[in-house]
Amino acid sequence: MNSEQKDEQNPLIYLNNAATTWPKPDAVLEEVTQCLRQPLREPGRTTGNGSRDYPSAAREALAAFFHAGPAEHFVFCQNATDSLNLLIHGFAKKSRMPFHTITTELEHNSVLRPLTALEKDGITRLTVVPFTDNRVNPATIKKAICEDTRLVVMTHGSNVLGSVQDIRQIAEYLHANDIFFIVDGAQTAGHIPIHLSDIPVGAFVFTGHKALFGIPGIGGFFITEPEAVRITRQGGTGTDSRELTHPFAMPMRFEAGTHNYPGIASLYAGLQFITSTGQEAIERKNRDLTHGFIRELKNIPGVTIYNENPDLPVVSFNITALDNHEAGFILARAYNVILRTGLHCAPLVHERIDGGKGCIRASFSYFTSRDECSAAAQAIREVAESADSQVGSD
Amino acid sequence: MKEYVLDEPLTEGFLKFLENFGTVRFLEQLRKPYFSFEKALFISIKGFVGDSTVEVRYKKDFQDLMGDYVHLLLYYYDQGERGITALKGHEDTLKKKMKIRLDPLPGNGT
Repeated sequence: MNSEQKDEQNPLIYLNNAATTWPKPDAVLEEVTQCLRQPLREPGRTTGNGSRDYPSAAREALAAFFHAGPAEHFVFCQNATDSLNLLIHGFAKKSRMPFHTITTELEHNSVLRPLTALEKDGITRLTVVPFTDNRVNPATIKKAICEDTRLVVMTHGSNVLGSVQDIRQIAEYLHANDIFFIVDGAQTAGHIPIHLSDIPVGAFVFTGHKALFGIPGIGGFFITEPEAVRITRQGGTGTDSRELTHPFAMPMRFEAGTHNYPGIASLYAGLQFITSTGQEAIERKNRDLTHGFIRELKNIPGVTIYNENPDLPVVSFNITALDNHEAGFILARAYNVILRTGLHCAPLVHERIDGGKGCIRASFSYFTSRDECSAAAQAIREVAESADSQVGSD
Repeated sequence: MKEYVLDEPLTEGFLKFLENFGTVRFLEQLRKPYFSFEKALFISIKGFVGDSTVEVRYKKDFQDLMGDYVHLLLYYYDQGERGITALKGHEDTLKKKMKIRLDPLPGNGT
């Protein structure tokens, strides 16, 4: 049997879109190819005209997509983790005295690890507030604020529970109290409409390779108050080359070195794809897939679902009679269903929901079909029933 | 984690042999019959009967001592009952080395 025949009988079902969306829209792949087919247009770094000025075009597209400006306040980084590191460490460097920071149990290690590093260095005291019913109550954040609280970092959408947090209410309160608010939008950017002009965040972080349909290696953030964050990277910007001090003007204030042009081109095309398809249509399809999948899972004995009403296309569950890694292994190798297992880089969530053992996560995208969801649910049923019957016979 | 490619597909007979050395779980009703083998402090193996590849995880603390264990399992499987006794002897030696590592005081391991 050759691999093509095998694929026909057992087609790949990719349900790991909360990690990285796949497949990408054809237009994204074509834009990346187009970007690399011609010399790059790098203002200040070439005498050529090259292809499109992708950084400027993508910044404008981001500003329109997130309803925020000026476009120069959108900064490109490698991904959300890179952006969060730049913002968190840059904010800490700006503060002359140790300060208090608040974060939440829902966070990804991209938030928890930089904050823990600052705490270990004695730069900050850290309060981690709990979630209730999959959400962080804004009142819990308000209650945790101390006299020296300067920073709050929290996720917009949980990568495990799929719950969207009420960042607007929190942002308004923190803004009024002069506390810098960094929002990790890695899981929400592209999935739900976000009007940053209406939400007074200090900075909003996004990544390109998830619901914005870009390729891995591109992400960034929107910052309203660039002065709140000290520059931690210096280098070539293609401008002011005589000056040995890194420029303060946006966006090069936070961008040193040659951009990831193919990544930015993919992000630009991904944004265009969402806009032309319609974010509402994408959201509606994802919602249908997610809730249809949950309906099927709920009927399987021995399956525990951790949030039966997620806002994002993320469903986390466990098969009672089987370790999550084993279940993921079986589903991948025997059924060609690709999921994610383990702690999903969010260890504190798991301490609360599954005793720190981790779980299986299915996550969908616009390109996932209902048939794929049903086939995956049927595979999960077979595995759960088999594991359950074996436990019963032991 | 390491993936081993075997000379021939795994059989249920091999699983019976593994039962002498640890806990075997066998889910035969699946699209592909799945098994796992768990031996505390030593090793865990996952795979499918009929497949020629297995996924092997070594326990971090004794990774260097366990490097040959999979090969020993395969080698002694071919020897039937005699192989079971011989491999248990190897395991005793490995356990002594583990004990010394866990508690490296003079007199231990003898």
